[in-house]
Amino acid sequence: MAMVQDDARVVDQQEVAERTFRLRLRSERIAVTARAGQFVMLQVHHGTDPLLKRPFSFHRIMPEEGLIEILYRVVGRGTWCLSQCSPGNHLKIVGPLGNGFTLPEKDDRTVVLIAGGIGIAPLHELMVQLTSNLQADKRHAIHLFYGARTAAELIPTHLYSRLGIMVHCSTDDGSSGYQGYVTQLFELMVNQERHRPALLYACGPLVMLYHVARWSLAQNVPSQLSLESLMACGIGACLGCALPAPHPDDPMTDSYLHVCKDGPIFKAGSIAWTKLQRQPTTPQIYLYN
Amino acid sequence: MDQASKTTDHPPDLSVQLGPLHLKNPVMVASGTCGYGEEYADFLELGQLGAVVVKGISLRPRPGNPPPRLVETPSGMINAIGLENVGVAAFLTEKLPYLRTQQVPVIVNILGNTVEEYVELATRLDGVDGIAALEINISCPNVKKGGVLFGTNPEAAAGVVRAVRRATALPLITKLTPNVTDIRAIARAAVDAGSDMLSCINTVAAVAVDIFSRRPKLANIVGGLSGPAIKPIALRCTYEVLQAVQCPVIGIGGIMTATDALEFLLVGARAIQVGTANFINPRVTLEIIKGMERFLRVEGLENIGDFIGALDTRCVFPFAEEACDLETMMSKE
Ligand SMILES: Cc1cc2nc3c(=O)[nH]c(=O)nc-3n(C[C@H](O)[C@H](O)[C@H](O)COP(=O)(O)OP(=O)(O)OC[C@H]3O[C@@H](n4cnc5c(N)ncnc54)[C@H](O)[C@@H]3O)c2cc1C
Ligand SMILES: Cc1cc2nc3c(=O)[nH]c(=O)nc-3n(C[C@H](O)[C@H](O)[C@H](O)COP(=O)(O)O)c2cc1C
Ligand code: FES
Repeated sequence: MAMVQDDARVVDQQEVAERTFRLRLRSERIAVTARAGQFVMLQVHHGTDPLLKRPFSFHRIMPEEGLIEILYRVVGRGTWCLSQCSPGNHLKIVGPLGNGFTLPEKDDRTVVLIAGGIGIAPLHELMVQLTSNLQADKRHAIHLFYGARTAAELIPTHLYSRLGIMVHCSTDDGSSGYQGYVTQLFELMVNQERHRPALLYACGPLVMLYHVARWSLAQNVPSQLSLESLMACGIGACLGCALPAPHPDDPMTDSYLHVCKDGPIFKAGSIAWTKLQRQPTTPQIYLYN
Repeated sequence: MDQASKTTDHPPDLSVQLGPLHLKNPVMVASGTCGYGEEYADFLELGQLGAVVVKGISLRPRPGNPPPRLVETPSGMINAIGLENVGVAAFLTEKLPYLRTQQVPVIVNILGNTVEEYVELATRLDGVDGIAALEINISCPNVKKGGVLFGTNPEAAAGVVRAVRRATALPLITKLTPNVTDIRAIARAAVDAGSDMLSCINTVAAVAVDIFSRRPKLANIVGGLSGPAIKPIALRCTYEVLQAVQCPVIGIGGIMTATDALEFLLVGARAIQVGTANFINPRVTLEIIKGMERFLRVEGLENIGDFIGALDTRCVFPFAEEACDLETMMSKE
């Protein structure tokens, strides 16, 4: 589907959890072709510093209204600038980009979604897609496992449970739901209930995705993981968004995928997990200085 | 009749002559920032550009560097892509056919680790339909000389250019690196060895580190800085190169707007290339072309050639004529 550059108008911006904002933009041309799991490159600032657009997944796509929503967390200068914009502002936007999630072919199977922190962002639109045209009783076969560091960072979960799906929460500090990592909660529940999901979707920090990938490879359950990398263009031109991939013939040779074109949604087996480098993150306490 | 209505009938002429190349306007997309052209198909018609310079091509495909490959810095970005490319064979069979369908001159950026590799590339691209010129990227390490960059040594640069010159009849552009003490020496060496034109600059060597993880921000540690941060350096290089050689020079570095582009032309560049700005706005080159036209109209210039190299470096003393007067008064103070 064609990518476009648009001048999107900010319709609304709300702080929905700690450092977490929901931004609603008007872009008819992007809203009509966007799919769950795809993303946009969004201008965060008018000027040369920060210079590059930033990638954000679709949190909601509303083609009838010509609107899209993104959900983002302030992690640095770019996202901080974005949090300062208000209704009426215009931001350049390029999209829809990337491959997007593939929806399951049969409706009657157990589908599990695993979200860590801001990883909930692309999964919301996916949940909407999965539940549309699905009878209420079948929606119980969709499980969302949603973890965050602490309760203040969790998006209010009624937003998701009202879709009729099963929501299971965890926090690292135990301030809400299960205490521990969301992947631990997931494995615990799967072992207790003894039914394997037919399909896994996940988005979150790299360590979380790694554990989901391991589980899915070990259990032979297909998975679709939303991965990130630093991006300059988002359209396959700069080749900056590479992730290591297993080489089809020779494990000693380097081979790379490009998140913006080949992803951002990948199967667990398409990433060379052992060759992934840790990405530095800025500690929270320095963010607002 | 006022100036505006005098010029509306003819749009200003933006065409430029670069040695043997005639371009409809001086705006090109820089190597490595527009892929193989097709990546921008949804955003612009390549035929509206002066030329397209494709991603650097090597003899064999290169996988590129491990990630992270890029990082943003104030008004710039540092990249260490590692010259990932499909290799010359796949370029010819998979990428060039699309470019041929676009009415745009295609300039192929070539790179090698040895003089022989450059020669073989030039030989394979010589006479191929749809290629307008070669741009020799001499910012690669010379593996035979222990990794010294071809582009940082006048003899090594001349060696590559001379060998490529013998291998092809295509117009040659040598792309200079700013990471040298005297860019004029490299420029002269390349032109004496047979380069028809020069382009400058490639990225500026740079490093970024993270104080929290205490790690470099690029897996390759050192990368190349591009974007608005390097524009003044690029202007200086263009200025110096033009003092050293007579051939056409293509200005590159930090061009985001028509104003930026015109600054390079003012200094004397015959054309310009836009790199990083394409990532921020994939239609930026069209906006730059429009902006140039508007500038020429407002300035009452009919063709861009009248502006190229118009930099006036004489000093201007607006009060000089009053000097006698002033001096008398000052002596009475
Ligand atoms: C396909 C894709 C979809 C994304 N979707 C969302 C989303 O829906 N919501 C959301 O909040 N974020 C999303 N991100 C991450 C988001 O793009 C980054 O958080 C943002 O670019 C940071 O910009 P900054 O200037 O605030 O941070 P910077 O100052 O640039 O960096 C601050 C910290 O964030 C890290 N960072 C920067 N860019 C990225 C990146 N692209 N991916 C991961 N970490 C990064 C840096 O390593 C650093 O530690 C997505 C990323 C990708 C690649
Ligand atoms: C991601 C990226 C990849 C590049 N790849 C190449 C390349 O393959 N060959 C080359 O000669 N220059 C390459 N360059 C350099 C650019 O062509 C240009 O000289 C430089 O970026 C300065 O221009 P700018 O500031 O407008 O980006 C690359 C630059 C970037 C940012
Ligand atoms: S972000 Fe530029 S190629 Fe993927």
